Amino acid sequence: MPDATSLIPVFADIVGADHVIADPDRLKALAIDGVVAKLMVSPKTMEETAKIMAAAYKDDLSVIPIGGGTKMALGGIPSRADILISTKRMDSYLDYDIDNLTIQVESGLTIAAIQAKLEAEGKGYFLPVDPPHSRNATVGGVVATNDNGPKRLLYGGLRDNVLGNTVVLANGDIVRAGGKVVKNVASYDLTKLFIGSLGSLGLICRTTFKIGLKPEAEASLLLPFNDLSKAGSFLQRIISSFYYPAALEVMTANTMAHRKDILKTEGNYIVAVFCEGISEAVDRQMKDLSEIGKNEGALAAVPLRGAQHRDFWIAYRDFADDWSKTDPNLILLKSNFVISKHAEMFAASEKALSDAGLRYALAAHAGTGTLYTAILPGADLESRKESIIGEIRRLTDMAVGNDGNLVVERAPFSLKKQVDVWGRIKSGFSLVRGLKERFDPTGVLNPGRYVGGI
Amino acid sequence: MEKKQLLQKLAEIVGKDDIRTSEMQLQEYSYDASLIKGKPDCIVIPESTLEVSRIARLAHENHVPLIVRGTGSSLSGGPVPVRGGIVLLTTPKMNRILEIDIPNQRVVVEPGVITLQLKNELAKYGYLYQPDPASEKTSTMGGNLAENSGGPLCFKYGVTTNHILGAELVLADGEVINVGGKSLDNPGLDLIGLVTGSEGTLAIATKIILRIMPKNEGVKTLLAIFDTVNDGANTVSEIVKSGMVPSTLEMLDNLAIKAVETFYKIGLPTDAAGLLLIELDGLNDGLDRLAGQIIEICKKNNAREVSLAKNNAERDQLWTARKGAFGATGRLRPNYLVNDGTVPRTKLPETLRRVGEIGKKYNVEIANVFHAGDGNLHPLILFDERDKDELARVHKAAFEILQVCVEVGGTITGEHGVGVEKLGALSLLFSPADLNALRKIKRVFDPDDILNPGKLILMESESSERKEVVYA
Ligand SMILES: Cc1cc2nc3c(=O)[nH]c(=O)nc-3n(C[C@H](O)[C@H](O)[C@H](O)COP(=O)(O)OP(=O)(O)OC[C@H]3O[C@@H](n4cnc5c(N)ncnc54)[C@H](O)[C@@H]3O)c2cc1C
Repeated sequence: MPDATSLIPVFADIVGADHVIADPDRLKALAIDGVVAKLMVSPKTMEETAKIMAAAYKDDLSVIPIGGGTKMALGGIPSRADILISTKRMDSYLDYDIDNLTIQVESGLTIAAIQAKLEAEGKGYFLPVDPPHSRNATVGGVVATNDNGPKRLLYGGLRDNVLGNTVVLANGDIVRAGGKVVKNVASYDLTKLFIGSLGSLGLICRTTFKIGLKPEAEASLLLPFNDLSKAGSFLQRIISSFYYPAALEVMTANTMAHRKDILKTEGNYIVAVFCEGISEAVDRQMKDLSEIGKNEGALAAVPLRGAQHRDFWIAYRDFADDWSKTDPNLILLKSNFVISKHAEMFAASEKALSDAGLRYALAAHAGTGTLYTAILPGADLESRKESIIGEIRRLTDMAVGNDGNLVVERAPFSLKKQVDVWGRIKSGFSLVRGLKERFDPTGVLNPGRYVGGI
Repeated sequence: MEKKQLLQKLAEIVGKDDIRTSEMQLQEYSYDASLIKGKPDCIVIPESTLEVSRIARLAHENHVPLIVRGTGSSLSGGPVPVRGGIVLLTTPKMNRILEIDIPNQRVVVEPGVITLQLKNELAKYGYLYQPDPASEKTSTMGGNLAENSGGPLCFKYGVTTNHILGAELVLADGEVINVGGKSLDNPGLDLIGLVTGSEGTLAIATKIILRIMPKNEGVKTLLAIFDTVNDGANTVSEIVKSGMVPSTLEMLDNLAIKAVETFYKIGLPTDAAGLLLIELDGLNDGLDRLAGQIIEICKKNNAREVSLAKNNAERDQLWTARKGAFGATGRLRPNYLVNDGTVPRTKLPETLRRVGEIGKKYNVEIANVFHAGDGNLHPLILFDERDKDELARVHKAAFEILQVCVEVGGTITGEHGVGVEKLGALSLLFSPADLNALRKIKRVFDPDDILNPGKLILMESESSERKEVVYA
């Protein structure tokens, strides 16, 4: 097999020498689970990307896409890594059709940059997605990892808000999936196939999103509880009501410990509710939910508005990033399950981890059935490793038992080697493998990182 | 295998009584709600996943086409056995609501459940399944899944695919798998997303998991009458731009209004050029003010009249009119053809104007009933199938309308599917590389082209690159 470095002149020809990096030190800094690529190439356009991929394909070289680099810890350990393709220079707005409430953008743009641009229009336009790593996550990364945030409850997830993806396949073919209209049933829904596919089928170069218009009013409500079961029954009551909060969250008291400037509430557990809509309906929800909350045992009901409200949600989404700064060995698990089990899953995780003597911080999207478990092993990972692996297995069983699964979103290399980061393989995997073989017959895209080690 | 042997094997699976072979019965399943026809070799009525699986295995081993059929209300030829084969009916015996899981806001149904039957059942719990194809009284959940059906409420709540979270599937070779589930975001490829809208060509859904929601506290329904269709379309754009998210923004043009009035006699002005049906839902608080704001926008855009439904009876009447619009319009002539292109909302006035011009050019009568909020047009072209010259003009007009939709940034079908009808229009939208990628999907799921062959995309490349529509 030829070495990737032999393609340096070819790539330099396509993107310019400045955008081909072969310096081992710079590449080492981008290692994925310790695996260092031979080259990083940064195309400016989809056509350049297609040429790079076609050339790599001919020489059977593997390709790993990278955007903001916020989620490179996700997935299995790469079985090989020849060329990193950075999408960061693909940062144009292509079909900026705000009148129709759709935009097509290149995949290297950050979600934050798009939000800022839409906000600058001054008319309330926004992208209805709020994934974690809010500053640096790019469109391509967010779509490829299907990374949803708290407001998914009201706005739906990526599969509901992405209208089209244009993708470069392993061999350099450009494939356009979907379009810019909300209703579109022209042949198979290829758009969805690429959402959450972690670059295993193709490199996403362009994505078309629905955009939203900010409702008249928004505010949030923080409800501290000492008793988890009370928080749980409050949440379930709201989920089953005609109130329609945009997000419905519960976390442990320490989850936002790094942001005491933002979260000052007492209580062992904090419930956070995001309300938005027409002014009267927001006022009503803030009032009713405070009352219901207090009746259900909340210690207080603290309204947040304006900048306080906005900052809270960004800090909340990024809680695991904050923890990883003080605890670089942080292990982040994301489990999904049927929605009524949010309190049970939360309580069981807490119990399992505290019984094992592990530190942790939890945050759950109660309304959509997602739990983030951050295990904080501190400096001494080795002595705790076995017990952490045991807990990951136990939590996976629990999520699977509640019709879900568990993904290890990040973990130190030594631990990753010993767990299946994608949780339990479910039925239908032969189709997943079949699709992989059709779209990437030589297995050069993100090899080893996706579900089932494909 | 000889046909006789095949029938015998099928009888071993489902029992002799659940096989139909008489000429009359075969005729009955030779069509759908389009004009496409094709006769099956036999009809089979399974009652369980296991039976479906065994039928699939039999079809697979013998290379016999297998076509699932709900109630045959498809408008694109979806369930028509254009290459013969076994038609599998879901409605007689696979029609149970298996589970209503209120705490988790999910239901599990068999594919033969009728959409409205599910909604009515859920109403008893104060819950809603949102997607509402106008055909909900007759269409099945299996058909809704396979066509990724839309409806008026989809402007706010999304189409069927946004509400289907999982399914039990029988694959082409009889293997039974489960995809998705009651929970969201299962890791791995979005197989349920891929199967939804696949028109029975990838797998047979034997159980479907759906998302349901608690009923809204309040609803307001408004009716606005316009003297030009453009005023109506501009009203829609302005409402959407204002940031309001009505659950419904539906329009009818003059011909459709006249047809509905003739049929339902509910007092619609038959000289009006456009009728806009708007619905708001949510908490009661502020709904009146929003309705007021909408009335203002309608008036500003020259609405002749705007009224608010005073009670449920009035509201039901408006909805009956909207949902019966196809049927009523269709009665004006022996046949009608529903076009289903979708365009970006701001292109509605231009597209409608061009649709009108196309009608004139080919001398065919076109009525418009459309989901204005999401730009999904339904030009209904009226004709008489027996008039071959007219039929030919209808084909040309229909194709040109699709061309216009694609030209302005839209698509060839918003909710009715490609079926047989729009195979020849795929290349308006897709490059050869795109079409190849779509074929890869079919090859993974059904390499031998057993499930509903000849629909959605043809495995032989030339035919998908033909540029025409096929209606009969
Ligand atoms: C008057 C009228 C109004 C309509 N209004 C609307 C509307 O507002 N919105 C809209 O979207 N559509 C509408 N339609 C079209 C049609 O009703 C829908 O496409 C509907 O979902 C079809 O359901 P069905 O049960 O009749 O399916 P069928 O017509 O029987 O089949 C449709 C397709 O689904 C496949 N299929 C059926 N069951 C299964 C299964 N279990 N597994 C896999 N594949 C399966 C079939 O093979 C076929 O390809 C309308 C049709 C009519 C006649």
